[in-house]
Amino acid sequence: MAEPILSVRNLTKRFGGLTAVNDVSWDVHAGEVVALLGDNGAGKSTLIKCISGVHQADEGEVIFRGRRVRFARPVDALANGIETIYQDLALAQNLDVPSNIFLGRELKRRYLGGLIRMLDEKRMTRESQSALDSLDIHFPNLLQPIESLSGGQRQAVAIARAVYWDARLMIMDEPTNNLGVPEQHKVLELIRRLRDQGVPVILITHTLPDVFAVADRLMVMHRGRKVTEKKTADTSTEELVQYMVGARDDSVAA
Amino acid sequence: MTRKHVFGALAVAAVALGASGAMAQEKIKVGFLPGVVDPFYQVMELGVNKAAADLGVEVVTQVPPTWGVEVQTPILDALIARGDLDYIITAPTDKDQMVGPLQAAVDAGIKVITVDTFLGDGDYADGPVTFPISYIGSDNVEGGRIAAHGLAEAIGGKGKVYINSTNPNVSSVEGRAVGFQEEIKEDHPDIEVVGLDFNLDDPNTATTQTAAVLQRVPDLAGVFGTNVFSAQGAGTAVVNAGLGGQVQVVAYDATQFAIEQLNAGTVSMVLAQKPFDMGYLAVTFAVADAAGVTSLPKRVETGFAIIDKDNVTDPEVARFIYQVPN
Amino acid sequence: MADSDTRLAERYGGDASAAKTPGRHFILTLSRLWAWAFLALLIAFFVVSISLTTGGSVSFLTLRNSQNILVAITPVLLLGLGQTFVIIAAGIDLSVGWVMSLASVLSALAIRGTFNAGAPLFVAAIAGFLAAVGGAAVVGLFNGVIIAKLKVPAFIVTLGSGFIVRGVSLLLSENTTVIGLPPGIRDYGNNALLYYLHGEGGGFFFVDRPQLAGEALRRLDPILPWPVVITAIVVAIAVFVLRKTQFGRHTYAIGGNMEAARRTGINVDRHIIMLYILSAGTAGIAGFLSTLRFTAGSAVIGDALLLQSIAAVIIGGVSLFGGAGNVIGTVIGALIIAVLTTGLVMLNVEAFWQFIVVGSVVIIAVLIDQSRDLIIGRGRSG
Repeated sequence: MAEPILSVRNLTKRFGGLTAVNDVSWDVHAGEVVALLGDNGAGKSTLIKCISGVHQADEGEVIFRGRRVRFARPVDALANGIETIYQDLALAQNLDVPSNIFLGRELKRRYLGGLIRMLDEKRMTRESQSALDSLDIHFPNLLQPIESLSGGQRQAVAIARAVYWDARLMIMDEPTNNLGVPEQHKVLELIRRLRDQGVPVILITHTLPDVFAVADRLMVMHRGRKVTEKKTADTSTEELVQYMVGARDDSVAA
Repeated sequence: MTRKHVFGALAVAAVALGASGAMAQEKIKVGFLPGVVDPFYQVMELGVNKAAADLGVEVVTQVPPTWGVEVQTPILDALIARGDLDYIITAPTDKDQMVGPLQAAVDAGIKVITVDTFLGDGDYADGPVTFPISYIGSDNVEGGRIAAHGLAEAIGGKGKVYINSTNPNVSSVEGRAVGFQEEIKEDHPDIEVVGLDFNLDDPNTATTQTAAVLQRVPDLAGVFGTNVFSAQGAGTAVVNAGLGGQVQVVAYDATQFAIEQLNAGTVSMVLAQKPFDMGYLAVTFAVADAAGVTSLPKRVETGFAIIDKDNVTDPEVARFIYQVPN
Repeated sequence: MADSDTRLAERYGGDASAAKTPGRHFILTLSRLWAWAFLALLIAFFVVSISLTTGGSVSFLTLRNSQNILVAITPVLLLGLGQTFVIIAAGIDLSVGWVMSLASVLSALAIRGTFNAGAPLFVAAIAGFLAAVGGAAVVGLFNGVIIAKLKVPAFIVTLGSGFIVRGVSLLLSENTTVIGLPPGIRDYGNNALLYYLHGEGGGFFFVDRPQLAGEALRRLDPILPWPVVITAIVVAIAVFVLRKTQFGRHTYAIGGNMEAARRTGINVDRHIIMLYILSAGTAGIAGFLSTLRFTAGSAVIGDALLLQSIAAVIIGGVSLFGGAGNVIGTVIGALIIAVLTTGLVMLNVEAFWQFIVVGSVVIIAVLIDQSRDLIIGRGRSG
């Protein structure tokens, strides 16, 4: 396999007396979807937050695109192309689709020799439209507040935003929660499309059917430690459940 | 001095009455804009309305709900904008800040008569402000002196006293406080004025302030409330502290409440102004001016009635209590 | 799999149109425009009723009256402008009334001081402006830092700072009105851009007020007094900033989802601080204009205006929960309040009715806002 886009080496994160992530090593490669599994409290979210700059690791290192990185703030990870789509989507309900896609990174035009900078709404709308088109997402009206869109549609906007800003690594936290079945399918379709475009996707999920639908490889955590890392094709639902509850553990030499 | 002014004014009133009867006058329209809603101005309104009825004048009345130039000015502007008023009778809520807005009224062709409070220094002949026709009100400095004298007597000539007033820069209460302090300083060396607070025309604030002073100065002997709300609030504080009768209160403005406290022994003296006279005379002056009279006095002092326990039942005195018949 | 995908794609795209049946669309538009309609009705009501009750001798729609109304809304509108920004960002500024008073006192002191030190009138006026807005900005900075950095709720911080500001105003003004300003200042506060003289010798006069006397004076109407001109400029700037700039867009974003704004890299703390400086700043301008108008500084002049400014903002359609609203709405709200006040006086109705009516309109405004939510049907289909 080619050089991994993301490499986590012996990463450990503690909060006071609790070790949330314990000596985890893990690779993610370009053009693959990797599922990150584990029960509540397994440490999935914390591991991801150490990668995306919300937390900083206590021990170990993160290597992204060949360079050792340590992001002090989420914005720094963003600047490096690591896009995270949170469970709550981080969208502004009261703003429309283009405003959300360009939130914090608005396009502007200068007037009066640079004295006045106005929002370039035409360009943002155009760009949003083409970003959505490239993902085969269609809204009849881009310019209404996204609170009037369904959950799946909002999920699509969040994904389109990440794609527009040239995500080099996409992290998605429980993307199909709270979605109806048809919309779940749509989101999984989008994930496949991202992979086909070469963007690696880390998929944090509880939902085992999603893993088998879309993930190439997977990693299971239990109580802060990595208990297995394998190809999806090489395992089954029953096996995964055993890993997740701690009944099986590949890290302990048999 | 005061009496002469009043007689002069009454003479003018007679002329006006005669004039309005003799000639078929064009009905003049007068705006009445007092300071705020309170019994003093309500009695003044009675005077205004009585004169209007007697002299055949149309009156448009607007009473500001709270005291302040920011409240009085928009109402004044609206009255000016009507375009049909010939005179405005008003109690300016600030002797400097209302000069501009009232000058605007004059510029729009409306003549101004001030009642109860004056603009500038009150000297409309030679002072900084001369556009109003006349100032009709109490000689508040004199009233302050009378109040000081009365309080001094009530507390036995020595002790600590406190003044509770309404707003700074209002000519009426300012004069009272000044008169009070001058009288104390000149004639009563054994009396000390421990403080002067502004309650901004809110009786609740007056109560709170007075209560605080009662705490701070345990041997306080007397309190002077410079107008309706001040006397009401201060009196309430004294009663609430259980000091009714021990701490003497002199009240300016003869509201029902003040008279009650007089009867209960909390208040030892009440100065009643004559707002009915002020209102009546103001309308009369307007009629006289409209009839062409040019020798109206620029200042009319309407005098006081001094009410105490001894004369409160005397009908000649009791008629000056501020009461509005229902 | 491909077939169901196509069908799903169509279904997916079709979902969004659920909210837009023609009936709902009409009600939505109506709810956005109701404030305009109400204002128009109110004006019509006063025109008719005043004409009837005075037998035609007094008219509501005169040039002078329209200017009166514009001057009357100046302080409320200025306070409301800053408040609009702050409330859209899901905050609130309860200190604006008191900040206006502080600004009034500071500008009076500055004008008096610089003029007495020999400066020309115009310079003294500039000094007054700087003192007013500068002092106000300090308060805004204080508010913003505590709210953004220490995470204390805005309601509490601005209430507390408001009280402090009031005390400081009374202290600086020595418990009285600040007077002794050069009389020429009054012209800045009361003169107008244009004058119109009715009747003979009539016509428009630009800036230079014609010297008239007696009967001719009655026919002179000021048009666009300077405070109105300044307020209009501030309104125009506010509309532009809110709608067309990144700052405005981020203000809406913070009000809609502060966490989302933070995550996309917006410096939320700094933005919040700037918003509170802005809101205090507009109050500072209002205080300065008040000093010019009354030729005095007053520590109590802004007291009643806080609630009026919030009423104007709410009537104008800004949601108290943040994320929605605009400047023009606030202008309409302020106009409604001013038309009410003036109209009731001209109708010779007691002033307290104004309170009753304004309060009722505020409640109606909130109800309409709530019902709009129901109609849109906040899309949370799962």
